[in-house]
Amino acid sequence: MSAAETRSEEITPPQDLVDTRLVLWYFVAACVFLLISMLGGILMALQLVHWNPLAGLELFSPGRWRMIHTNAVAYGFLANAFLGALHWAVPRLTMHRVASQALSYFIFLAWQAIVLLTAAGVVLGPSFQDQAWVAEASRNLGISMSLGAQGLEWGETPFWIDPVALLGLLLVAVNFMVPIAKAKGPLYVTLWYFMAAFVWTFLTYAMGNLLPEYTVAGTSAGAIGGLFIHDLVGLFVTPLGWGLMYYFVPIMLQRPIWSHGLSLVGFWGLAFFYPLQGIHHFLYTPIPMFLQHGAIISTIAVELVVTTVVINFFGTLWGQGRAFVDNLPIRWFYTGMIYYFLTCLQCSMQVTLTFQKLIHFTDWVVGHAHLVMFGVFSMWLFGVMTYLIPRLLNRPWYSHKLCEWHFWLSAAGVLVMASDLILAGVFQGYFWAALQPWDVSVVASQPFWITRVFAGLAMFGGFLCFLYNFWMTWSARSHV
Amino acid sequence: MPAVDQSPANRSLRSARLRTRVTLALAIAILIPSMYGFAGKFYEFLHLVRGESDGAFAVAPILNYLLASGGFLLLLLWATANGMFHDIERPKHTLLDREQQLDAAQRRK
Repeated sequence: MSAAETRSEEITPPQDLVDTRLVLWYFVAACVFLLISMLGGILMALQLVHWNPLAGLELFSPGRWRMIHTNAVAYGFLANAFLGALHWAVPRLTMHRVASQALSYFIFLAWQAIVLLTAAGVVLGPSFQDQAWVAEASRNLGISMSLGAQGLEWGETPFWIDPVALLGLLLVAVNFMVPIAKAKGPLYVTLWYFMAAFVWTFLTYAMGNLLPEYTVAGTSAGAIGGLFIHDLVGLFVTPLGWGLMYYFVPIMLQRPIWSHGLSLVGFWGLAFFYPLQGIHHFLYTPIPMFLQHGAIISTIAVELVVTTVVINFFGTLWGQGRAFVDNLPIRWFYTGMIYYFLTCLQCSMQVTLTFQKLIHFTDWVVGHAHLVMFGVFSMWLFGVMTYLIPRLLNRPWYSHKLCEWHFWLSAAGVLVMASDLILAGVFQGYFWAALQPWDVSVVASQPFWITRVFAGLAMFGGFLCFLYNFWMTWSARSHV
Repeated sequence: MPAVDQSPANRSLRSARLRTRVTLALAIAILIPSMYGFAGKFYEFLHLVRGESDGAFAVAPILNYLLASGGFLLLLLWATANGMFHDIERPKHTLLDREQQLDAAQRRK
């Protein structure tokens, strides 16, 4: 179908294509969960500098808060914000509505219930575990009845929620795949990424939450766990994030992506090289070395793929560099891309066995994780929200200055936090390699952890600016 | 020396050629070493499965990978057979055309 043919097509009015109210609801839910997650992060940071404001409260012990922090950001913030953006982008890309509006609202409510029940399981589960009825039910049903978190990073969702979450992911896939299947002509790269994400997220979630719980055990379960942790980033968050960038950047710059062919090289490279690299989280473990080497090779291959993607986006910006300064969403997007390139470069180094000897189990990894999840994907989603919220509410932002504060506090805060923790990781690694007592490395980490508190507070302050701005923009609308 | 044709059509043609060459160069630079590394590791795996106890241990993650990648290989073949990559740059223009139409329709509302 040519562009001229497209023009002659009957255009469905955008208000009939996109349910703007639902997009807005998803963004509100995402913000609520990010607020909770960031509070959890600050509590954790305070605990590490011996100033835990909730000391002595079992329900809010740091181990539980930490899981709230990570799960709220992954399933509460990122998933909700992505779903909101998908409800905007997929109908406009395909010119077809989602499969069912009623299903969309059901998924919205079900997903919030899943995230809240996960939080309830993580916080309350261990306290109820010793009840007699739990042991009895476990005996009668012949299954483990661990009410609290499952023992897998990012897979802590209690086992009784897993089937519901999987059903939710299946419904999400059906709801969005129907319009994509109806789209005519060669698909734009964004839709390839989205399709892959729907399949991968379901498979990754099933692999990580079901296999170690019910089938494989021991080190083999560790290998699966490694795949799960990394595939959740690379096969759920990454394809949705890049898919949205390929959609929003060209329409904001009013020019097509530099090379669509190159973007497809990036997509298929991700498809074939990403799924195997998760085991790089478990180098120097009893997992067979050939699997560890395979993970290292596929990780480095993915870094090459990432380079093509970054070249393509900067090729698109070429000649319009001023947009990086003047256009706030573009600034969010491209700052996130610079951080993405840095984090991938860091990744290709840290997966080598030489590097792992030094940084394994240190705060280097924590710094890397924050750079990826906040510096890249959260910043992209902030950019998407900064662009879409005025369109959804049909009003300009209440304060452009607050938007700028949000950007600068977030971008600078995460850069300081990541650099600080990465450096802390190097120090910790050398302390351990020198066989210093554990306490020595903990004491030496204090300046880094104090710096982390302030960096986190800056990021939190930026987000509060955004929330206040969002609220004021929304309130102004209701008075019209 | 003949004058270089600076017409917009010629510039666009040269730009398209540059894009094609960069795409092909990067595709080759990425795919060949990556496939070489992957094939080597897979060959090692086959030897392990046959000869050592470690082989059985590694079946679960490898099968996971093959199931996912096999599906995507089939998708790639299907997409190629159905002309999804025939006019590879067209979708990026269609995207902008549609967005312009949608925005125009929104303004008319």
